[in-house]
Amino acid sequence: MSSWALFLPHGRLKVKTTAEQQAEKEKERQKKLQLFKAGTQKIFEKRKIKEYDDEGLSISGQILQANPDFYTCWNIRREILTQLKDERTEEEFQQLSQEELYLIENCLRKNPKSYGAWNQREWILMFMPTPDWERELQLCNRFLDLDERNFHCWDYRRFVCKHSNVGPDEELKFTLKKVEANFSNYSAWHYRSSLLPIVHPSCERNSVAEAILLKEYDLVQNAVFTDPSDQSAWFYHRWLLGRGNCFIFKLFDLDYFVVVCVMK
Amino acid sequence: MLTKDVIISENSTKLLLLKKHQDYLSAYGVKKDNYEYCMTEYLRMSGIYWGMTAMDLMGSLDLLDKQQILDFVRECQHVCGGIGASKGHDPHLLYTLSAVQILTIYDALDVIDISGVVDYVKNLQQEDGSFYGDKWGEVDTRFSFCAIACLALLGRIDAINVDKAVEFILSCMNFDGGFGCKPGSETHAGQIYCCLGTLAITGNLHYVNADLLGWWLCERQLPSGGLNGRPEKLPDVCYSWWVLSSLKILGRLHWIDKEKLVKFILACQDEETGGFADRPADMVDPFHTLFGLAGLSLLGDQTLKEVNPVFCMPEYVIHRLGCDLQLLNV
Repeated sequence: MSSWALFLPHGRLKVKTTAEQQAEKEKERQKKLQLFKAGTQKIFEKRKIKEYDDEGLSISGQILQANPDFYTCWNIRREILTQLKDERTEEEFQQLSQEELYLIENCLRKNPKSYGAWNQREWILMFMPTPDWERELQLCNRFLDLDERNFHCWDYRRFVCKHSNVGPDEELKFTLKKVEANFSNYSAWHYRSSLLPIVHPSCERNSVAEAILLKEYDLVQNAVFTDPSDQSAWFYHRWLLGRGNCFIFKLFDLDYFVVVCVMK
Repeated sequence: MLTKDVIISENSTKLLLLKKHQDYLSAYGVKKDNYEYCMTEYLRMSGIYWGMTAMDLMGSLDLLDKQQILDFVRECQHVCGGIGASKGHDPHLLYTLSAVQILTIYDALDVIDISGVVDYVKNLQQEDGSFYGDKWGEVDTRFSFCAIACLALLGRIDAINVDKAVEFILSCMNFDGGFGCKPGSETHAGQIYCCLGTLAITGNLHYVNADLLGWWLCERQLPSGGLNGRPEKLPDVCYSWWVLSSLKILGRLHWIDKEKLVKFILACQDEETGGFADRPADMVDPFHTLFGLAGLSLLGDQTLKEVNPVFCMPEYVIHRLGCDLQLLNV
């Protein structure tokens, strides 16, 4: 993790093991480590003499599946792919790019929060001859089903939408689906806050059309009543209050408003 | 809904095990063939910064081999001026900042080509004010902070377009008053720290809605006393740093329950090996060890040196530089 690694291996429970188990595990790790070190040395050497080829892709791919945050290794792959784009036919390079997408997906399965892997995905999508944006949107759906709060995936989703003309209205519908599935999905409420003023603007900047606001209040009130201790809906509610005219307050049960004031 | 949290056991550690942490950090990396050590080579420069800052806060910097560290930093600078995580690894803003932090603590900046670093940072700024992390073009508010903190430590903030850099940071502000990685990204405590740090260095904190953001930040505290980095997430020691330092910058450190947080941080120590983990009973690492100690320092622990909330470096170092920072008061 950093401003620095904002993400490091987190949440690894310390397990008590016997000396024998430990020795066995250490042996296995040393074997893996030797392969990792030999592979790293090899790709550094090949890079030095600018030997950019399939072997380099294969070795660096294995290294990255073991350690997807090894950023220099992704850089070496980009250098190789940049050269191969010139050397291969468009069809061949499209095939190579698809293989790159498979590799990245494997890395993301291992670590869905790898900055390096998500970043490589954006890079290859912009670099390959014919990107399949529909497939990428499906990938986002799948990863968000596994972890609805993965902010890397939400960011990647916005990148995909931007490049494939998925409109903010469609995305607004998607966030509704997500919020209805789980009112505690703060990531979806956040996304809604940026989409709503775009899809339903009113004459004032960054505000929302009156009729829509009322519907939105219903939604968020539902969330608050379902689980009053859930912060997500409260933060969103606080924001909604600032989107329209002041008389909107009067539409609310006084007690409800007092609770919000206390929360503030 | 069940709150995602941990339970602090009654017999958890209540004392700060300084000696244990010193032993843990001075032994870290001595066994060069250790698996974890080798697999984290891609962030070695930051690892050294975490370890040495922790050691300095504990008053035991002299236990580390200064000359070896200086030689290592020198070897990691590239012709372009940027610095990589380790020898042979590519230059990146993340590790360039860590290197500059290391050399600033040692008061040994002349070890590297400083004007090269300034040029490297300057060339990564984009037209919209954002910064690439390296030549490959990833944009993130973390990199804005790295660039500006780095230049501030070098006294060369004039080398970049500060107004544009601030404009970009503000374009990442969200409905909850917080900040994300890039425009449109969800608020995250780590990114808030980076953005507030950038605004504090450049004297632009007046753009922040400090009460709204302060509310979001203090809501990070869970019943266990620990802090999470986003709503509905588990607590983690590293947020003792990112959330606390942000509240300190906003002058609202008193908005959280200090006693409970201290109890949570202390419970994350490993009594056997030394070091701090993200949560009680997890594996320790130098990263959480620094942020545990830095959190305790911000909370007023008298056995530790005072830490600077913007640079995450000992306050005496920032004082020596005469670095001017804006912090808010309530």
